[in-house]
Amino acid sequence: MSVWFRGAIAGLIGGLASGLALLHAGALPQTGWLPLADWEYSGLVLHVAGGAVLGLGFALLMSRQREGAGETFFWGVTYGSLWWFIGPLTLIPLTLLGFIAWDVHSAQEAFPSFVGYLVYGAVAGLVLAALRGDFRWFPAAFGYGFLVRGMLAGLTGVWLVGREHVGLTIGILGGLGLSVLYPRPLPGTGPGLIRGMVYGFFVWAIAALTVTPLMDGRGLAWSAEGAQAAFTALPAYLLFGAAAGVIYQWLDALGRLLFSDTPASEEDEGPGTEGLRALGRGALAGLAGGALFTGVMVGLGSLEAAAGLIGSRSLVTGAVVQFVIAELIGASYGLLFRRQSYDIGSALGWGLSYGFFWWVLGPLTLVPVLQGAPPQWTVAAAGQLFPSLIGLLAYGAGLGIVYHLLEARHSPWWIPRTRIEAARVSRHIDQLLTSAPALWALVITIALTLPIVLSGQPR
Amino acid sequence: MNGALKRDVVAGALAGLVAGTISGWAILAQGLTATAASFIGVAPSGGGFAVHLAVSAFIGGSFGAVFRYSPYGSAASLTGGILYGLLWWIIGSLTLIPLVQGRPPAWSIDAAGAALPNLVAQLLYGAITGGLFSVLVSQYLRRTPAPAAVPHDREPLTRVVILGGGFGGISAAQRLDQIYARDRSVETTLISHSNYLLFTPMLAEVAASGLEAQHISAPVRAALARVRFLKADVETIDPAAQVVRLRASAGSAAETVPYDHLILALGSVPNFYGLPGLEAHSFTLKTLADATALRNHVIGMLEAADGEPDPAQRRAQLTFVVAGGGFAGTEMVAELSDLVRGILRYYPNIGRDEPRFILVHSGERILPEISPQLADYALSKLTARGIEFLLKTRVAGATAETVSFTDGGGIPTRTLVWTAGNQPHPLLGPLPCEKNRVGAVIDAPSLQVKGLANVWAVGDCAEIPDAYTDRPCPPTAQHALRQGTAVADNVSVVLRGAAPVPFKFRTVGVLVALGRRTAVAEIRGWKFSGFLAWFIWRTVYLARLPGFEKKLRVALDWTLDLFFPRDIVLMAPSAAPTLSQTIGAPVPAPTPSPVGEPVGDQP
Repeated sequence: MSVWFRGAIAGLIGGLASGLALLHAGALPQTGWLPLADWEYSGLVLHVAGGAVLGLGFALLMSRQREGAGETFFWGVTYGSLWWFIGPLTLIPLTLLGFIAWDVHSAQEAFPSFVGYLVYGAVAGLVLAALRGDFRWFPAAFGYGFLVRGMLAGLTGVWLVGREHVGLTIGILGGLGLSVLYPRPLPGTGPGLIRGMVYGFFVWAIAALTVTPLMDGRGLAWSAEGAQAAFTALPAYLLFGAAAGVIYQWLDALGRLLFSDTPASEEDEGPGTEGLRALGRGALAGLAGGALFTGVMVGLGSLEAAAGLIGSRSLVTGAVVQFVIAELIGASYGLLFRRQSYDIGSALGWGLSYGFFWWVLGPLTLVPVLQGAPPQWTVAAAGQLFPSLIGLLAYGAGLGIVYHLLEARHSPWWIPRTRIEAARVSRHIDQLLTSAPALWALVITIALTLPIVLSGQPR
Repeated sequence: MNGALKRDVVAGALAGLVAGTISGWAILAQGLTATAASFIGVAPSGGGFAVHLAVSAFIGGSFGAVFRYSPYGSAASLTGGILYGLLWWIIGSLTLIPLVQGRPPAWSIDAAGAALPNLVAQLLYGAITGGLFSVLVSQYLRRTPAPAAVPHDREPLTRVVILGGGFGGISAAQRLDQIYARDRSVETTLISHSNYLLFTPMLAEVAASGLEAQHISAPVRAALARVRFLKADVETIDPAAQVVRLRASAGSAAETVPYDHLILALGSVPNFYGLPGLEAHSFTLKTLADATALRNHVIGMLEAADGEPDPAQRRAQLTFVVAGGGFAGTEMVAELSDLVRGILRYYPNIGRDEPRFILVHSGERILPEISPQLADYALSKLTARGIEFLLKTRVAGATAETVSFTDGGGIPTRTLVWTAGNQPHPLLGPLPCEKNRVGAVIDAPSLQVKGLANVWAVGDCAEIPDAYTDRPCPPTAQHALRQGTAVADNVSVVLRGAAPVPFKFRTVGVLVALGRRTAVAEIRGWKFSGFLAWFIWRTVYLARLPGFEKKLRVALDWTLDLFFPRDIVLMAPSAAPTLSQTIGAPVPAPTPSPVGEPVGDQP
């Protein structure tokens, strides 16, 4: 089956799924200028046709990416969300109305198609994966243990976050879905965390925005108002996804440690030496990132809030608390993301994603919880904490870059000495690449766009 | 900037220009509010647009430099562009531009909301830049194929060869490893006859069973990340042809290794001054094998004496003579005394005062390298423990049963440890350069060998002028370590075309271990003695062990050793019986030890 054909089929089915949903939500663009304008499904047909065309581009982009159901899935979601910016925000208003709709109000109006495009991307990705044979593991040669591991990971994630935020069924199904996408999780706990977090976002879009309102009889909650109301659940889903991703990885490693005799990696010298070195470098990088972050916080005057974490009120304590937290997060970054970045671009990507993760975990969740209040998960709170998002993104970028530079100075594993080493290095980079760039772009796009779009007051 | 980087920057700038045109037109020409334009920081007019294009080209070029081209697919490049574009939205629209215009940074949600059009513009700009960049570079490469960057096909431009895997050689190799970690044009090779770095100052304790062999040895390959390592025996050094000839092992073929710069760190070998019987019948302390052999021999002597009826034989077996009153000799005799007295309780037939420990020294006082007070203190401490000192006495020769002195006297002994003479490695002999009285090559202050081009020397095999005293640098480990680092720095400086720097190092201090967990130390004028000095001694060497894992293991072992006694396992190589031997048939004796007596009983 040729690349184009696969892409067209995937885009077609994706367009159908998203088009039907958008039709139900009444959010398909007007087609007043088309000949069959009065036929109620003309918009759907247009959408499906457009989806097929976009699917061709998707298949072309995917032609040189690594195989794997999870990979194609995440690339699809990113592809879909990118086309939301190009389509409903730019090209469609340009051709239909004559101007570009990039302001907050227009973005809010176009929000349903954002979810629709996400669904399109996800479905197209899954279909393309099936057509490419990425689900070849079924029936599985290595048993169905990974499904059990996925469910366990989902359960643990739900337990950590709290059942009132993420339902038990959703948790189990979510974990199951993760294991279906990644029967063999890719090495690297840090990327697993980010991957899980993005997966959690997608589960939120499906569960909180789609399935739950449908089952409650309210119709799809894809509008901006619906998303605003459902925003309270979003951090919970993000954290659930991150936890499930990490635990799934650990369970897989544990299973391999106890029951199989294949070593995790021959490159490792053992967790003793590598881990300590990574910790040290991470702590050092955390210092640099912490300096950036403290600069931001000083600019915002939020040092007292940091001091308030341990019950003090002086600015110096606040700065010290900031630095300690920056150190700890930096050290954890070293452990989670060692040998995962091979140039500044990848370092930026992981660092920024990790910074966003800590914005969700830190100011939104842990800071109020540690002070005895419920977590601040409303849109208004997220909007108020937007400056600290900028700060944490800056911190993450600094962290990633400095850690990469430290690795480059002492052990640039991506510069091979011999041809044999070159083969090893290219294998490792190949493994790293996967859907990582898609994850980075998606995390930053969502991190910045969602709070802004959803915080704006609807006129 | 190398070619690939230039290509990436140019392609990125071009892509950024195109993307900037599109996004700039969208923002400025499509009737969006003035607020959006203000977030670009320019007025929506011709000049402003030109500035915007320039900035777009700059951001695109930096994207090319940061993300670099990789043939893994344009999808990664596209999403990388989105990431980068959004990052510049934060840096530019939200932070720098408001600051430049005198407003506070636009980090609040409302201000960010006002800048949402710029976000979308930057996102699309980034996507277009990323995608276009990948297309441009791949098209360029298809037209002008770049030379394949396969590492091993490229000949390195410069070869640095280090001979010797001791303190000097390894520290030079580690420094060169660091300097040239990412520079493939210089290839460093370390050649040594053993694949581990040995802490020779602590050999005495291994010989006395106070330390295990793996505590004081560290594998070379684990300490060096990029430097090539060759375990081989060097046969000749040819400075005229700038090659080194070596052989991997006794039976293998000879190899030739060319060099552009040669660092000699060959160290020293024992010097027997041609005295009869010394080489055959004495123990030296240069390698782990030496230390283990001495240890086994001493324990073997105790085992033999335990059952020996003849008093003359017993006396010879229980007399231990060390020749040479420098650091090595003094430490050795103290450690031997500790070892024997410590395990004497396992040998009920040997009396407490039967073993004798004698230090023979040709000078007036022992430990001439440290101050007289500390030397006297050491002498008094050791004498109080029952060690005998024969000062102003020279050894004339040795046999399997005795040691004889120049004044006619002699001592019946089965154990003679020779630490009284060291000479530089014999490989230096044929070198056509100036050498000093003992045969060491003479160095300029920059550590270059006088008279040879591109040859450097550090450590015991060289005479290096001390910047602070009139005498040459003493042959100690701390000097060899600093010389190794300095010579590596100087070699890299010379390769860059600048002038090398003279070597300057003020001795930090001297430490002598005196057994029983005591030592004397003189550190920058401060004098220590006793357990504190011994603790400092151990800590200094622990800090010098390469690798955190090794440090941790050795620290744990040494802490345990504080509570538990020494090991008396006799690990002598004895022939294991084979099937070809019948019960009662004589077993072939093992290789005899230097004093000519088989160690241990045979079955």
